[in-house]
Amino acid sequence: MSTVTSRTRADAATEPADRRPTRRLRPRRNRSGAGVHVWDATPLTRIAIGATIILSIFPLYWMIVVASRDASAATTFPPPMTPGGNLADNVSTAINDDSSNLVKGLINSFIVSGTVAFSVVVISTLAGFAFAKLRFKGSTVLLAIILLTMAVPLQHIGIVPLYIMMIELGWVNTLQAVILPFLVNGFGIFLMRQYTIQAVPDELVEAARIDGASTLRIYWNIVLPAVRPGIAVLGLLTFMQNWNEFLWPLIALSPDNPTVQVAIQQLTTGNYSADYSMIFTGTLLSILPLLIVFIAFGKQIVGGIMEGGVKA
Amino acid sequence: MISKAARRTKLRWLVGVAAIALLAPACGGDDDSSSGSSSDEPVTLTVNVFGGDGFGYDNLVKQYEQQHPNITVDYNVVTDDYDNEYRPQLIQQLDAGSGAGDVVAIEEQGVGQMMSMDDAWVDLSDYGLDSRESDYPAWKWDLGHTNDGKLAGLGTDVGGMAMCYRTDLFKQAGLPTNRDQVAAMWQDWDGFTQTAQKFVDSGVDSAFIDSPNQIYNIRLVQEAGNGDGTSYFDRDNNYILADSPAVKTAFDYVLQLNDMGAIGKFQNWTDEWNVAMEAGGFATMGCPAWMAGVIESTSGKQNAGNWDMAPVPGVSGNWGGSWLAVPAQSDHPEEAAALADFLTQPSSQLAAYKAISVFPSAPEAQQNPAVADSKNAYFNDAPVGQIISDSITSFQPVYYGELHSAVRAAVEDVLYGVVEGTYSDDEAWDAFVSAGQEVVDTSG
Amino acid sequence: MKTAERVASEPQAQPASPVRPRNRFRRFLSLVDLKASPYLLVSPYFILFLIFGAFPLGFTLWVSLHDWQLAGDKEWIGLDNYQFLLTNERFRMTVVNTIGMFVLATVPQLLLALMVANALNKRFRGRLLIRLGVLIPMVTSVVAVAIVFSQIYGTKYGMVNWFLGNFGVDPIDWRKTSLASWVAISSMVDWRWTGYNAIIYLAAMQAIPRVLYEAATVDGASSRRQFWHITVPQLKPVIIFTVFISTIGGLTLFAEPMMFNSGRLDGGTTGQFQTVAMYIVQAFRERNNYGLAAAAAWLLFALIVVIALANYLVVNRIRESR
Repeated sequence: MSTVTSRTRADAATEPADRRPTRRLRPRRNRSGAGVHVWDATPLTRIAIGATIILSIFPLYWMIVVASRDASAATTFPPPMTPGGNLADNVSTAINDDSSNLVKGLINSFIVSGTVAFSVVVISTLAGFAFAKLRFKGSTVLLAIILLTMAVPLQHIGIVPLYIMMIELGWVNTLQAVILPFLVNGFGIFLMRQYTIQAVPDELVEAARIDGASTLRIYWNIVLPAVRPGIAVLGLLTFMQNWNEFLWPLIALSPDNPTVQVAIQQLTTGNYSADYSMIFTGTLLSILPLLIVFIAFGKQIVGGIMEGGVKA
Repeated sequence: MISKAARRTKLRWLVGVAAIALLAPACGGDDDSSSGSSSDEPVTLTVNVFGGDGFGYDNLVKQYEQQHPNITVDYNVVTDDYDNEYRPQLIQQLDAGSGAGDVVAIEEQGVGQMMSMDDAWVDLSDYGLDSRESDYPAWKWDLGHTNDGKLAGLGTDVGGMAMCYRTDLFKQAGLPTNRDQVAAMWQDWDGFTQTAQKFVDSGVDSAFIDSPNQIYNIRLVQEAGNGDGTSYFDRDNNYILADSPAVKTAFDYVLQLNDMGAIGKFQNWTDEWNVAMEAGGFATMGCPAWMAGVIESTSGKQNAGNWDMAPVPGVSGNWGGSWLAVPAQSDHPEEAAALADFLTQPSSQLAAYKAISVFPSAPEAQQNPAVADSKNAYFNDAPVGQIISDSITSFQPVYYGELHSAVRAAVEDVLYGVVEGTYSDDEAWDAFVSAGQEVVDTSG
Repeated sequence: MKTAERVASEPQAQPASPVRPRNRFRRFLSLVDLKASPYLLVSPYFILFLIFGAFPLGFTLWVSLHDWQLAGDKEWIGLDNYQFLLTNERFRMTVVNTIGMFVLATVPQLLLALMVANALNKRFRGRLLIRLGVLIPMVTSVVAVAIVFSQIYGTKYGMVNWFLGNFGVDPIDWRKTSLASWVAISSMVDWRWTGYNAIIYLAAMQAIPRVLYEAATVDGASSRRQFWHITVPQLKPVIIFTVFISTIGGLTLFAEPMMFNSGRLDGGTTGQFQTVAMYIVQAFRERNNYGLAAAAAWLLFALIVVIALANYLVVNRIRESR
């Protein structure tokens, strides 16, 4: 069905020179005129998208429903489908529960993820600039090495020695133990390299050189302002990714100094282990910061992912 | 007047320093202590315990803080799963030399492993605490010593053993609900089996017993105590599970009950087990003294009166019971030892009992009428003190080897597999033995 | 200007003109800057990588060749740990589990992502909102999702069984068999990442020149043919990228299977959903056997390399049709 429609529209869009003019409909393009399929959304498409959205949101909705009710909500059949009124109470109990240290977890995660995001941005813009605009011996080799390092999931393969190192340094249960290993993030360098290549014209760099600007000045005055959107995207994505790190913080931190993922894991073994409304309240609280970031910066995040995908 | 080159260099240095500063370690999350332990310096002591209800120290801790204004106590119930979460974490922390609390709890089945790590503990007799010997029965006192003979742990509670049951479900099944009658019904294990059969036959939509683990352990401990006192390991730490008559008896009993359909498809301390406790998913469960507190808080007010307690078949039994110890890594061993001493005094054990029903290990506290005559209102005023004391009186201690907890976790998984239907009765014993063997093989 | 200065200051012994040394110095500095600064710029990454990447990798290998506990002697045992693991039934099971879950978590996910991207590639209102909606799963906490899904997959009290029960299906014990547990756990991963990959594919799809489609339409190709013979081959680089990322994520699954069994590392009663990552953590956390854990970690690394290569070879065979 959609085939017939699309063929007709495609026909209408092509030059009449080769075909019988079938001026049935106006050709459709999107605003920017880029290569977009001219197929319209069919009912089937709408259903598919609708189903996808519903499935995407349902577990979150279920979380809200249970979190806003009491413990019995998770064990009643048929399951309740509407939120109750208990959310405020549950939130205050969850925050004050000291067996899970939820608030501490949230604060720690902010500190850790924020530091990691910031540091990764700095490192990636510096190195990305170098790979994008500077010629130096061995740059290809180094870039290849970075690509290889992206292939290694460090926190899984290196977990034993990382832990031993932290013990030797006395850094077990400290925040630096969960910050430093995550600064090794090759993806950021690739992303910033792409952005820099695109956003900073070679001529500008050459001209600055001739004027006697040092590399650092070029970086600071020319590159950084130009790749600002890339910085925003990289920072956001890194923050979100680091917020979700679980394995290494679980090993390196103690329950009294957790990051948020570890804190909500403790909810399932602590004082409220049988009370799903409390557990889900905790999980809801752990998602909230990311959701807020996502809603506030959604457009940039979507844009960033799409750009990253094209360049891959 | 700074030259342009110099200014550039200066800028470069600034940025370089800034970059290094970014990468330098952020301040850690340690809120802890000052140096030097003068008695007026403010000191924070961390007390880490486990269990669904903790150790009942909330009020005791406040009391101690009031008596010692310079001391703040951070009392944490780390997790309810001793075997799979608390124990491995504590061992890691002890090995790492940091991260354990100043006062930590050790559970009975893990005490063998803990006490084999001699260097990890402060010798409490350095602070005069060997005077506490008279507060404890000999076996409880002895188990608190390391292999080198250091006094590492002071006993807190003992578990004892009873059998808790749901009166509402018993009623539905046409079984007596009065606890004396119930006790008469299952004076021995044959009686228990018959009760199980009656319950299953009645068609009530609920399991007779909660999980294979607890009934297995009850039986195992009784049999082992009545035998030579060993279960998975002998006193030279050889792995003897396959040859242990106590283990085989307990194992076969679980299979017998399972063939009847009497065992619930739950594993203790899992989410579903918790939920079933509240929702009436099973009718009986093994009840050491501390489990009463867990049942009460999990089942909630809505189930008050639905739970009752009777002696366990065979009467004798013990599960759990703990010690408090001070890790050698503590920054304030003296204060920590004093705190551990306070928390394990017979009077404190009494207070903990009143708070969450953990049964004192000190005979002085046990004989206190508040304990001996105590009744638990949640459990229909069951004479808990009496039931638990009786179970301990006839109890024969069992030796738990260094790897006991780890082996136990693995073999009980197999038991659950039997109940799930993953293993047939014929396969089960071999799987059981090899699961334990696997742990022994892979352990460092 | 420089020449004039030089000429002016040369014959006499003048008090050193501040210009000349600074000139040379400045030139020297900018030479150094040109040559050295790129290396300085990339050095932070490499320094960090050396300390927290390369060194741990090497050290893991070293530890794996010993009988290693934290406290006490470390005894050299060569390849014994590897030999043990490669012949151990339980470890082999965890490898099978890991691969099985990886397949179930990656293949449906990427296929679904392709189709969702294709659907999103049409014109309709509210595109940004829809894209955000599709991306929301990516934003949720990993552990939170695992907890919620594990509750939904509860045997007695879970919604999935309730839903299936309405159609007369007996309650499934999702933790009992390998297949059921793999499906449940993989569904968590699929749910999380399908939207993200769909957006990536969407972006790449939008860059495909329209001319190709028009030509194909002229030739009478159906939209399905066009999808499989134009869209997908054009997406090949992106597909390779997403397959690679998913491979790493899938083979290192940890949080989801752990929370699926109430936070335990044993992966079910017979280890039916224990992954290699869980095995590693169990080995050093519960069994205190650091050497064994390190050996398992290296074997995991080898597994990732092998499977990533295999994936590349498979995906690379997507050929364009002319």
